[in-house]
Amino acid sequence: MTYSKSRYLVRRLQLDPSLIIVILLLSIVVISGFVLSDRFGTMRNFMNVLEQSSGLGFASIGQAMVVIVGGIDLSIGAVVTASTIFMAAVVDLHPGLMIPMIFGTLLFGAMIGFCNGYIAMKTGVHPLIVTLGTASILNGSVLIYTLQPTGGVPYWFEEFAYGRIWNVPISGLVMLSCFALIWLFLRYFQTGRAFYAVGGSPEAARLSGIQSNRVILLAYSASGFFAALAGVYFVSRTGVGDPRIGDPITLASITPVILGGLILGGGKGNILGVLLGVILISLLSNLLNYMNISTFVQWVIQGVIIIIAVSVYVHKGKKL
Amino acid sequence: MSEVAANLSEGTSKTVKQLGRFIVPLSLMLLVGTATLLQPSFLSVNNVQDILTQAAPLALVVLGQAFVILVRGLDLSVASLMASAAVLATAFNATSDAMIPVIFLITIAASAGVGLINGLLVTKRNVSPFLATLAMMIVLQGIRFYYTQGAPSGSLPEGFRILGAGRIAGIPVNMLVFFFFFCILGWLLHKSSFGRKIYITGGNPKSANLVGIQADRVTIVCYVICSVMAGIAGLFLVGFVGTVDNWVGRGYELDAIVACVLGGIMLTGGKGTLWGAATGALILTLIFNIVIILGLPVQAQLIIKGIIIIFVAGLFSRSI
Repeated sequence: MTYSKSRYLVRRLQLDPSLIIVILLLSIVVISGFVLSDRFGTMRNFMNVLEQSSGLGFASIGQAMVVIVGGIDLSIGAVVTASTIFMAAVVDLHPGLMIPMIFGTLLFGAMIGFCNGYIAMKTGVHPLIVTLGTASILNGSVLIYTLQPTGGVPYWFEEFAYGRIWNVPISGLVMLSCFALIWLFLRYFQTGRAFYAVGGSPEAARLSGIQSNRVILLAYSASGFFAALAGVYFVSRTGVGDPRIGDPITLASITPVILGGLILGGGKGNILGVLLGVILISLLSNLLNYMNISTFVQWVIQGVIIIIAVSVYVHKGKKL
Repeated sequence: MSEVAANLSEGTSKTVKQLGRFIVPLSLMLLVGTATLLQPSFLSVNNVQDILTQAAPLALVVLGQAFVILVRGLDLSVASLMASAAVLATAFNATSDAMIPVIFLITIAASAGVGLINGLLVTKRNVSPFLATLAMMIVLQGIRFYYTQGAPSGSLPEGFRILGAGRIAGIPVNMLVFFFFFCILGWLLHKSSFGRKIYITGGNPKSANLVGIQADRVTIVCYVICSVMAGIAGLFLVGFVGTVDNWVGRGYELDAIVACVLGGIMLTGGKGTLWGAATGALILTLIFNIVIILGLPVQAQLIIKGIIIIFVAGLFSRSI
């Protein structure tokens, strides 16, 4: 009786069992935060964490969409870097183009993502290799252009990262709305649902009349788009284009996706889980900073959390 | 009609397959030819010795990586393990060359432990290889940095210099060591019954189980081989570089995967030869060398590497 009831609840809330792990970890972090530090549990701190997590959040949305269709995008960091350079360099020369360049940068990212998807699709090469290749090409081009932070944007543009509406950071609001939109898209739109079908089995999806190729192209373009959005956020935050800023983002963007219960190999997962993953990672590093725990130990903790999250709930079947 | 088409496409794919066998050596010859034409000093004894010395550490990693990819895996932790092996070697602060075998034995044992954990996570917990080894990479990195507190100190016996950069009768010592391992592992993979088990497991783990092969055990052994080779490669690389830092071998994990793909090892498992993998490592090093010798900026290495990865991987995926 209890069993079926709890199962009903799980179904009702659309809770993937693996989502329970992230919720559990999140509650552990929050509770220990309130117990261990008096500065952790303040509204001010939570808002700061929300602002700081935006970059990772944007990158993870893109990664999640690619992972759902059964791929992986290792070029996200390179796209982030390239978009910060592209934006800062152009705006530095033509300050009047600030607003159009935001959209230009997003388009630039989407185009690179499209290329990734197109190459992976046409050649049949594993997306891991394709995106690694494009990442290498992008990083090389960026580093030939500049070896140090360069360019600049008007001062007011930092409002995107630091500005507040009713005390809520604008970048955080944008991130939350992106998650909400993508959640609606994946859940209620035909194309969105097709993402899961394609991730589950591209061949079966194709046979049931879904244009798998288009869905895959859309996923990769979205990944590039959101990576560029993360780039725009970093430009707003730092005011320059930095040829190294994206390096840690690629692998970092995978962690929340996995914590959120998505499976490498595709076809499963809730994008809101990814949001929880982003918040978990950001709150955890925030708390560990308050506790004066060195970055080095934080790395170990992060690695162990990944192992726990993926090995406690055993995924049967598909692997990457 | 469609039968004819199918036959035809099977015919072409057979020809392509035949071609595929020669792509690796052909592209190697093509590279050497072009480089010699552009820069006659390319084939000078000195430069060839340099290339071989540089190629050896990467080639050692590639040998191990090949085993893991053959059983449908992937090991992202190799570079982190290389650096950890280097740091571990300095931990003894040894000055006499007599300590070298001891250092090697301890490194090999520790690396084997890492490989065992990777293998157990992948087989017993069904974690995707990408994630298990990614987490291992982060954990090792954290432990290493915590131990060194960011700046490694300690010294290595002088003999490491000879192992990493010395020559016997004009042949680089590390190349001789590579050749030694190449013969042993080549025999293991291509001549022993265990090698056949590896191919069967990589081709289809389930049917491997059905014919009485303990696929899990085979997979674990492959991960252990990979980690041990990475540990050894780390020691040789640190001998070549001459100083220990926390990032020895950075980027080797991706380069090793790329070399395997260039050498015709399929990421889907069960296909490819050790000979091809070694050639892939040589090709990759050649590309780096050619960029330098042509006087192009170092960053161009990244661009050229990216283009070649996508191109060659595209060629191979067509020949499946």
